[in-house]
Amino acid sequence: MTDEAMSEMSARRRFGLGGVPAQFGLAIIIAAFWAVFAWRAPGFLSPFNLFSVGRALAVDIVIGFAQMAALATGGMNLSVGSIGVCAVMTGGYLMQTLALPVPVAIFGALGLGAALGWLNGFVIARSGVSAFIITLASANLYSGAMLILTKAVPLNSLPMEVGAFGKMKIAGLVSPLLVIALAVGLVLFVFYRHSVLGRQILAAGANARAAKMSGVPVDRVITISHALSGLLAATAGMMVVAHLGAAMPAVGGEDWLLPSFLGPVLGGTPLSGGAVAVAGTMLGALLVTTIRSGLLVLQIGNYWLQLYLGVILLLAVLVDRYRALYQERRGIPMR
Amino acid sequence: MTLFRRLLLVEWSGLAVAILLGALALSVIAPNFLTEFNLYVMLRSLSVGLLVAFAQMVTLGVGQMNIAVGALGGLTAIIFGATIELYGFPLLLAIPLALAIGALGGLINGLLTARTGVNAFIITLATASAFTGINFGITGSIPFYKMPASLVAFGDHHLGAMPYLLVAPLIVAFLLGLFFSRAAPGRELLAFGGNPQAAELSGISRERVVVSAHVLSGLLAAAAAVLAVAQLGSAQPTIGADWLLLSFAAPIIGGAALTGGHISVLGTLFAVLLLGLIQNGMVLAKVDPYWVQFVLGALILAAVGLNRWRAVNSGVA
Repeated sequence: MTDEAMSEMSARRRFGLGGVPAQFGLAIIIAAFWAVFAWRAPGFLSPFNLFSVGRALAVDIVIGFAQMAALATGGMNLSVGSIGVCAVMTGGYLMQTLALPVPVAIFGALGLGAALGWLNGFVIARSGVSAFIITLASANLYSGAMLILTKAVPLNSLPMEVGAFGKMKIAGLVSPLLVIALAVGLVLFVFYRHSVLGRQILAAGANARAAKMSGVPVDRVITISHALSGLLAATAGMMVVAHLGAAMPAVGGEDWLLPSFLGPVLGGTPLSGGAVAVAGTMLGALLVTTIRSGLLVLQIGNYWLQLYLGVILLLAVLVDRYRALYQERRGIPMR
Repeated sequence: MTLFRRLLLVEWSGLAVAILLGALALSVIAPNFLTEFNLYVMLRSLSVGLLVAFAQMVTLGVGQMNIAVGALGGLTAIIFGATIELYGFPLLLAIPLALAIGALGGLINGLLTARTGVNAFIITLATASAFTGINFGITGSIPFYKMPASLVAFGDHHLGAMPYLLVAPLIVAFLLGLFFSRAAPGRELLAFGGNPQAAELSGISRERVVVSAHVLSGLLAAAAAVLAVAQLGSAQPTIGADWLLLSFAAPIIGGAALTGGHISVLGTLFAVLLLGLIQNGMVLAKVDPYWVQFVLGALILAAVGLNRWRAVNSGVA
């Protein structure tokens, strides 16, 4: 093996968690999109649009984190949107109907999200059935229960400060929601990098049997990961409440499914588990938000949006695949 | 093993009992249930669902999944509608074309999955989004309304309680049953689903199996789309939007293993019938329609639990 290949492999290993090369390519693509949109649509760089991009980005980032938390164990969470909307309606109910103080209501909604996620994890760990089918079923249970209880009636006389928080601008440009999303990202980064529990989650995701033999309580770790996923989905839901200034039963659901996977997968989180890309998920979410907003400003309309998002997800998966193959070939010594 | 115990281990035995008891209960509670018209409406609503369930069942058979079943159905439906309304294609041309579009979509899914080795979930999630995007991009979410009278009549007519529409999925069910139990390619699909390594070592081509399962799945989704257009009398872009849950629920309740290698055509058929019965019962009992989603979710969980219990029990026996 040549020295060059050795150094490349060790570099890859060192940055294996984040997959830096993938993120570098992603950053270039994002920059290209920004350049094109700024050039074709003068309104794209206006303070107003930047503010709304940032606010939408905050929600996309946290939705991506919610999926990432489940992907870390090698599972997935199809109920991200359902838990999100359950948190939205619970938060709205606590604030409006029960007139509880806003922080208490937020705490209650986040608690519900974590509990619903925990329930997913508990059933998955106990039954050994794939996370896909359990969360597909629970997504419908949660959404169905929400619709039965709320009769799909929106709650739109929330306390004024909720909507005001969503409209607040730091330095006339940045939404506090984006600051929250970045803070969540920082916490998650430290959690997966440096905490024992975070390392245990990644170990269980990489190889459940080996982790179990090394004394990792795999079932508990999976349950906690799904509770974390639910907590993050609820956080995204509360951000949407602040953004809309109301609790809408049409939020979340299946609309969050694709974005939740786009962020982590574009950012380099493997579906097979064992690794997370926190910064990558943020970049992936930025790409999604950029494209959505750019098409809106260019007035191309929302109809084609899904085509672009689907094609981008495909391209990302293919590029990642071929990069892995290429590196594999480079790593094998020539005879 | 007692006869009762043996019956219990047949996948669709529980379903058959549930259907009989449900139908009996409904006919006592709701006098409208046994009317010819109600039975016709219920059976007609099953027709599309059966093909949707079969479309997913085929990919489950090889241990994969097809998230794009509904998206492909929607795209096929509006292309079918467009060729008829805008280009005046006769049905004899439009229907094969629609089926070919479905097969082509499945071919794309299959090739991408087989060639890259990436999880079929993420590939079909991406293509589902792309298919939906093309669908809404072309139509601007405006349906095609001018469907030929013969197609609409086919969707409406019935012989007693038996809708013409149901004939197509029943024939498909028969053919699929033969395919998976008697035909070599069908056996190869299941062998691969049961144990991919062993199947490959026995000379079964991974690529051919995966691609043919996805093509068949796309073909069935397209057939479901054509039936949906006949049933609705118009080609709606929203066709397929609510297929995802049913497509998984029916084969799994019918006894398909998520890990692949085992499916049941008859079980899937009974599962769709049971789901239709439940929906019909809820309508007759004037239950809040919001309950439908909840009940469907609960049924999947119950079925998964039952399948595990059966697997454990039959493993012991």
